[in-house]
Amino acid sequence: MADLQKEFNDYTKNLNKASKDENIKKAITRAVKSYRETTAETLNRFPHTPAMADEVREIKTQAIANNSELLKQAMESVERNKGKAFYAKDKQEALEMTAKIIGTGKTIVKGKSMLGEELSLREYLEEKGNEVWETDLGEFILQLNHEKPMHILSPSIHVPREQVAELFTKFFKREVPPDIAQEVAVVRDFLREKYFTADVGISGANVVAADTGAMVIIENEGNVRLSTGAPPVHIVLVGIEKIVPTFQDAMKVAEVTWRYAQYGVPGYVNIISGPSKTGDIEKVTTYGAHGPKEFYVIFVDNGRSDMAKEEEFSEALNCLRCGGCMYECPVFQVTAGHFGHVYMSGIGAVWTAFVAGGLEKAAPLVFTCLRCGRCVERCPMKINVPAMVGNLRERVVCG
Amino acid sequence: MVAEIKLPPVLEIIRGNIVKHGNPLAMKGTEVAAWANELKLPESGDLLFYTGGEYQLLPFIDSLVNTMTHLDQGSKVFSLMMGARNIINKTGINAEKLYASVLAKDRDRFNSISYKAAIILQKLGYDFCYAGKKELYSGALLSELGFCEDMKSYAVKVAEVLKQSQAKTIVCLSPHAAEVFKFVYPKLIQDFPFEIRTFVELVWERRHRLPAIKSAETVVIHDSCRLARELEIDEQLRDILQSVGVPFLEAKCNRKWTTCCGGPNKLLFPDISHTVASRRVEELEETGADLILTSCPYCLSALQNGQLKEDKTKIEDLIEFLYRGFEA
Repeated sequence: MADLQKEFNDYTKNLNKASKDENIKKAITRAVKSYRETTAETLNRFPHTPAMADEVREIKTQAIANNSELLKQAMESVERNKGKAFYAKDKQEALEMTAKIIGTGKTIVKGKSMLGEELSLREYLEEKGNEVWETDLGEFILQLNHEKPMHILSPSIHVPREQVAELFTKFFKREVPPDIAQEVAVVRDFLREKYFTADVGISGANVVAADTGAMVIIENEGNVRLSTGAPPVHIVLVGIEKIVPTFQDAMKVAEVTWRYAQYGVPGYVNIISGPSKTGDIEKVTTYGAHGPKEFYVIFVDNGRSDMAKEEEFSEALNCLRCGGCMYECPVFQVTAGHFGHVYMSGIGAVWTAFVAGGLEKAAPLVFTCLRCGRCVERCPMKINVPAMVGNLRERVVCG
Repeated sequence: MVAEIKLPPVLEIIRGNIVKHGNPLAMKGTEVAAWANELKLPESGDLLFYTGGEYQLLPFIDSLVNTMTHLDQGSKVFSLMMGARNIINKTGINAEKLYASVLAKDRDRFNSISYKAAIILQKLGYDFCYAGKKELYSGALLSELGFCEDMKSYAVKVAEVLKQSQAKTIVCLSPHAAEVFKFVYPKLIQDFPFEIRTFVELVWERRHRLPAIKSAETVVIHDSCRLARELEIDEQLRDILQSVGVPFLEAKCNRKWTTCCGGPNKLLFPDISHTVASRRVEELEETGADLILTSCPYCLSALQNGQLKEDKTKIEDLIEFLYRGFEA
């Protein structure tokens, strides 16, 4: 009990401190403005998007209802493509499976993944004696700074260029000026070497097509292309809620995701269904042509199927992780990811309760939410977060 | 997913008071209903005027929050989670202390809002009754904060008082009361046969009878979240202002996209609540307006507290603003 009290105290202190942090204030104000402008502009340019979002809501709702069937199908598809598919029922299993594939003493390049955060994947693999590099620029900055992401899509949203320069100067042991282009360039050079010497690449996936076993990964930087293409082994860790029936469904989910995630049109959409192969010599299929020779997919449950069973909460699994709601949240706007525990803001409170710490960790978040409902206005899936937060409050109070 | 979580004492105080005394601050029914003394409203009729005490209690809630906040400067409310009742007893938070810290002018102002609302409706030709000292707070906070068991039994008591009026329609001054009556009560009470309206809707229907208002101030509307998003009342506010001949500005985030005033988490996170309120005030002031109009007691109080000392902008409830037309 004493620890719980301390946790509440620390949380509140931290939240209050964040709300007075000028960097957060500046960064989020800028980010919110840019988010609203880009989204308005691209929704205008692609006016079919809201209708497609409605369609995706239906696809996702059905997919969650048929999740165990789809999971089976997706795993079969991956195996048919000569990949290896696994199901991890919880965090521990997912971590152990990953570690078993990787072993120890390896170099790993990793793409950004909220599931990775949920599992504390990097920390675990490092403990097992591996060298792990976050390749998303924002995550890389946080890795060096020993920090947690402050937004699901722009994890280092709160770190201004001056701080980045300081951090890089220390890490690279040479003067890096507070110039964004130069900051990007030093990381590019550094990671380029890592991609081609790494033993394993790890990524998440935005959506999975059960019929083809296709993993769809949206990105702008190109780090996912390199992390998943250059090393000899590629491991995908993905939540079971990401599976939809068909490839066509997956494309719709992807488009709606990137549009509301402020990508407009993303630089890259990776579609990966199996290991790299060639039949160019005598039509003999040989794996590991230019890309990975081995391809593993670990489907992670970790509380998701429990969430799916509860009528009041299953809708939360429709979340595309576009992050739009966070930009609209008045509390997030002043505290960033400090209003969160792995997962952030109101929807994060729900996810925290089920997959990332339970009701105890979710309790402070659940009472921080204003239940003002603006997130619902933004959410392409119209997830009723205020109602779920109300429900969680009842669970906290009444058990 | 059952966790042993003790709640912060401020919630216990509020919960206990609602359940035991029929309002969040244990005030006497006669005090809460004092605004209506001279109106001699009947106790029964078709239309029930419902204040829930919400405007009247506002200054006292702020006083409670301040008291709680200052009990522990370092960690604010959460450090007091353990043994809530004991701590309350030891530190001796009591009604008298709270009342003493409320300024008379605030008390008078918020008391008069209910009075002004009643006069406006009367002038628009509505006949209504009022439960007076028997009126109970709607319990919106019990529902909001998750006290589902308490809410179940409390709602029964509230419904009894409402039924004594024999009313068909209840007009609520606060969108929070309207929301809880409209969406929560029908799930808790088998027989809850009331049509739930808000003050804004009733005024809107007879807006053409409102006297014109000559205002030297430039007005901006702050939509309350509950009113705009849950009750879907936003255009009506604009229509009403148009009817009384008052031009108004719009904040960037308006109607369904309105920004929350920060009020809802004031009890547990007063600092955050305050920051959110200040930012909303900024958004409203960016329009260049010098009078902010809202139509929710909690928005009114939260936005006022969010103002900086140097802020010249005035914040009024729509009720106060419309009453100006009848004073002239």
